[in-house]
Amino acid sequence: MTRPTPKEIKAVAGVAGVPVDAEVATRIANSIGPAFEGFAAIAGTLPFDLEPARFLVVQAAKAVK
Amino acid sequence: MSEQPALLSLTEIARAIAEKRVSSREATQSCLDRIAQWQPHVNAFMAIEADAALEAADAADAALAKGNSRGALHGVPLAHKDMYYDAGKVVTCGSHIRRDFVATTTSTALQRLKDAGTIRLGSLQMVEFAYGPTGHNAHFGAVRNPWNVDHITGGSSSGSGSAVAARLTFAALGSDTGGSIRMPAHFCGVTGLKTTWGRISRFGAMPLSQSLDTVGPLARTAKDCALLLGLMAGADPADPTAAALPVPDYTSATREPIKGLRIGVPTAFYVDDLDPEVARALDETVAVLKAEGADVVQVELPDQRQLTAACQLVLATEAAAFHKRWLIERPQDYGPQVLMRLQNGLAIPGVSYLEAMRWRGPALAAHTAATAGVDALLAPAAPVPAPTIAESDVGNGPDAEAVIQRLTRFTRPINYLGLPSLSIPAGFTRGGLPVGMQLVGRSFDEAMLLRIGAAFQRATDFHARAPKFA
Repeated sequence: MTRPTPKEIKAVAGVAGVPVDAEVATRIANSIGPAFEGFAAIAGTLPFDLEPARFLVVQAAKAVK
Repeated sequence: MSEQPALLSLTEIARAIAEKRVSSREATQSCLDRIAQWQPHVNAFMAIEADAALEAADAADAALAKGNSRGALHGVPLAHKDMYYDAGKVVTCGSHIRRDFVATTTSTALQRLKDAGTIRLGSLQMVEFAYGPTGHNAHFGAVRNPWNVDHITGGSSSGSGSAVAARLTFAALGSDTGGSIRMPAHFCGVTGLKTTWGRISRFGAMPLSQSLDTVGPLARTAKDCALLLGLMAGADPADPTAAALPVPDYTSATREPIKGLRIGVPTAFYVDDLDPEVARALDETVAVLKAEGADVVQVELPDQRQLTAACQLVLATEAAAFHKRWLIERPQDYGPQVLMRLQNGLAIPGVSYLEAMRWRGPALAAHTAATAGVDALLAPAAPVPAPTIAESDVGNGPDAEAVIQRLTRFTRPINYLGLPSLSIPAGFTRGGLPVGMQLVGRSFDEAMLLRIGAAFQRATDFHARAPKFA
């Protein structure tokens, strides 16, 4: 996962129905860029049959009885 | 009684009222007197409902005189973060957009406290829509730290931290999505419990990020938090994400010694780049826990920066989705910093969000494996003591997210993993600002954290110190 560019952010925000101008897109890119970089080592590596609900299974399994 | 009733802890005032040593009216009037003194200086309250509170206190006293107690907190006056729906009351959520919003339902957490006999003092200030860690609020003004009013309280439960520290309320509900209970607890010198995701129903609590939001108390002691948690925890038909696990006797847990427990201190991340006074407080906390008989060991954790990043992707996306309609229809009604942060979520693709959600299970499993040999972790709640209001007033400038990331560095990984964490007062800087430490436990093991926190508070007096009115 790579840090999105202001141009990409402008496009994604437009598709989301909340258009932003170039200045805001640049500011957003700077703000959330580190999150994309921090998650880059995980993105694209997860096994096929892993669902978000797995979290609840792990949480319940480790819960204090 | 020689001292002001408002200076008692929640546990103490509840007992004093039950034993008729203090009336509910005396307790309520004592809080109102302090509110009148402190509110102009700390801005902790959103609304003060003095007449209604005294009327409710008189009713509580009359009921008790007839032998009718409603529960463990009969006649105890409390105020909570202004995001808990209370039917018929305005619930602003710290915002201009909901300035006149009147709730039609009552949150489950609040209702359970009411059922235990609490009465309402008013409502407490907060960061707009609970989306910020400093305590600034563009619409209602910054909440100020009672230890030094030039400094922030931390957020987003800013009013809760300030009001509990200044002894304006015996306890307060907060909420913690990225650190919003633990940071005010740390910066204001009170005890704050971020509960396991799913431990307390979120029904009727304003949403920010449904996968991360948790309800929890700020109070003066771990014992007080135990009492409140026991009253609020448990399944709720109105919130299917509230776990149907048994609710332990948390208060009993606070009486247990900690001799023989193993407490882990991370070898990295939570001990990196600490303010020297926070580092000193950590060392001193370790020494106290060892003196109480705990075995303190080092623990190597998985990469916490990845957890922080995943947390940010989830939080930003879910917050933007909740607010999308208002982002389209009335963006001008948000404060600049909150608008900026909400806009961040618009740029995150659905696949990225879902990858961050899919990784939660493996990430929690890895954390659990890494901490299998300890009963709890110990770490600072934040790397620094409270900055000034001026230096953290970053508006929507380019440094805003950097400041936010720095303050929430030690809290966000815990939110992503959904784990419980108790922030306890653990010292003061030479300038007189509080420093807090967080204990992090296994899923649904709040009892262990409260046990350790209570033992620490039996051995120290940081939690018992109150700011002096200047």
